[in-house]
Amino acid sequence: MAAVMELPSTREESWRWGDPAAIAAAAGLPRGEAPAGAWFLELEGARAVFVDGVLDEGRSDLRHVAIAPLEGGTHVLGARTTGHGWSLRVEAHASAELIQIVHIATGGENHVPAEIVLADGAQASVVETYVGTGWSNRSTRMTLGAGAKLARAVRLLQTAGFVSVRDEADVGAEASLIVTMLGAGDAGTRIDGAITVSGDDAFAEYGGALLARRDQRQECALSVRHAALNGQSKQIWRAVAADTSTASLAARVEVARDAQKTDGVQSLRGLLLKRTATVNLKPELEIFADDVKCAHGATVGELDQRALFYMQSRGIPHAKAQALLTRAFVGDAFAQIADETVRDAFVADADAWLEAAL
Amino acid sequence: MLKIENLHAEIDGKEILKGLSLEVNAGEVHAIMGPNGAGKSTLGYVLGGRPGYEVTSGSVTFDGVDLLELEAHERAAAGVFLGFQYPVEIPGVSNVQFLREALNAQRATRDEKALSGGEFLKLARGQADLLGMDYDMLKRPVNVGFSGGEKKRNEMVQMGIVNPKFAILDETDSGLDIDALRVVGDGINRIMRAPDKAVLLITHYQRLLDYVEPDFVHVLADGRIVRSGGKELAQQLESEGYVGIAA
Repeated sequence: MAAVMELPSTREESWRWGDPAAIAAAAGLPRGEAPAGAWFLELEGARAVFVDGVLDEGRSDLRHVAIAPLEGGTHVLGARTTGHGWSLRVEAHASAELIQIVHIATGGENHVPAEIVLADGAQASVVETYVGTGWSNRSTRMTLGAGAKLARAVRLLQTAGFVSVRDEADVGAEASLIVTMLGAGDAGTRIDGAITVSGDDAFAEYGGALLARRDQRQECALSVRHAALNGQSKQIWRAVAADTSTASLAARVEVARDAQKTDGVQSLRGLLLKRTATVNLKPELEIFADDVKCAHGATVGELDQRALFYMQSRGIPHAKAQALLTRAFVGDAFAQIADETVRDAFVADADAWLEAAL
Repeated sequence: MLKIENLHAEIDGKEILKGLSLEVNAGEVHAIMGPNGAGKSTLGYVLGGRPGYEVTSGSVTFDGVDLLELEAHERAAAGVFLGFQYPVEIPGVSNVQFLREALNAQRATRDEKALSGGEFLKLARGQADLLGMDYDMLKRPVNVGFSGGEKKRNEMVQMGIVNPKFAILDETDSGLDIDALRVVGDGINRIMRAPDKAVLLITHYQRLLDYVEPDFVHVLADGRIVRSGGKELAQQLESEGYVGIAA
């Protein structure tokens, strides 16, 4: 029980919508069989499979990914990951092949740290998929040198338990970071992001969609800090809540005194599929520079009844009409995924969720 | 084809249709005219199955089937098409996707095989061409950024694609300039003028009836049909107004 006592409390502001009890419950799920399935996308590149946090060498083809001892940092959950994890380091002006990582959990708790370090002008693309049950806890430290480019797409598809993801990123001058998250499983979800735009003329996008149903709770607490000139950032998030579920987004843009000419976009939108569901949105802007643009919007609503009837009057059954409108609502959050195969996988995951939830 | 008997319907407890009876046979075009607030659009929505419109008494049969027992999408599959006075914008759903889903959903409800992507595109392209709609507009989100005339033209393209037996067209002529009115009128004639089809045209003005000649004209006032006649009734309404005729 000692581990449970160290979990964060909902009395802390950043955990006000959190569900620490669900983390403890997930950690207590008994170990069982690994779920079967083809979790890798049909894409060439390196592959790593972690089963309950341990590399499955037989199913992995690491290529330039290394396994190394890593620090989990100081975050309350991230700190627990200190130990052996995966490391991707790409030399200056080199392009890494696509890396796919599948995390299979069979019960209990597992903790894995990771680092992605891109030297100046380096490029990499990472797709991560979480399946199974239990508590999967991760921390990922991303460091982008000048002009580096990282695209990372994360699919949270565990059927039960809890997934907590702590991301920290440092984005150097003229570098580009694009992270897209999709919560479309039945596990509790907590995403913690702390992104720092530390070099001039850099770009950071961190967004995605949380799809919650039954009594599930999914949440993201994100901050993007601009600490340099001419930075651009985007936080495009869509939260969909069905049944008695709760989806929560707390997203912050911080602009330091010297980060003039920052151009930030924050769009948080929630969709309630039932009136018994809950969407919490907390947009925050903290701006100390005086020459910045920060567009922001936060709305929660239901599907447009007129559009639903219009579609039904053309022959589309109610549930299918709901699915089409919800898919359109969520679609904005995947638009930044450049790889068509990855984007299609996100859309297919969302469609599968809609099929089950509606 | 369509038989409405003593139909009473209300919205939020307010009675709008107060004993409306009407029979439409295959091969006929009926025009419903009437002053604002008479219940014309309500009639369209009740026949289309819009939630919130409650039928308190009376009956509607379509080809012998109780239409009021069917869900909105089942009515469409049965062959009923409702052309909207204000077509709805649907961001994020393309016209092509919307129409393919609609047509194949109707076919599935009727136990027919779905059209392939290629078959559907050929059909959609053909209908768009016939109505003078740029094919690129089919790729755009449904009605988003369309002008009033383009929205109505899109309604006709949709009607051409689903090819219904019976069309209820609610003020399809509103917001159209003279050229667009001709295109839409030609579209209605081409798609719906057939011995096994029928049309209920809901309109304020006679001008659409210059292009789509009705077999019968009915005046709807205060929730019921107060007068019926041939196409000359529409001309009489145009010159004399509703006041004298509906009284």
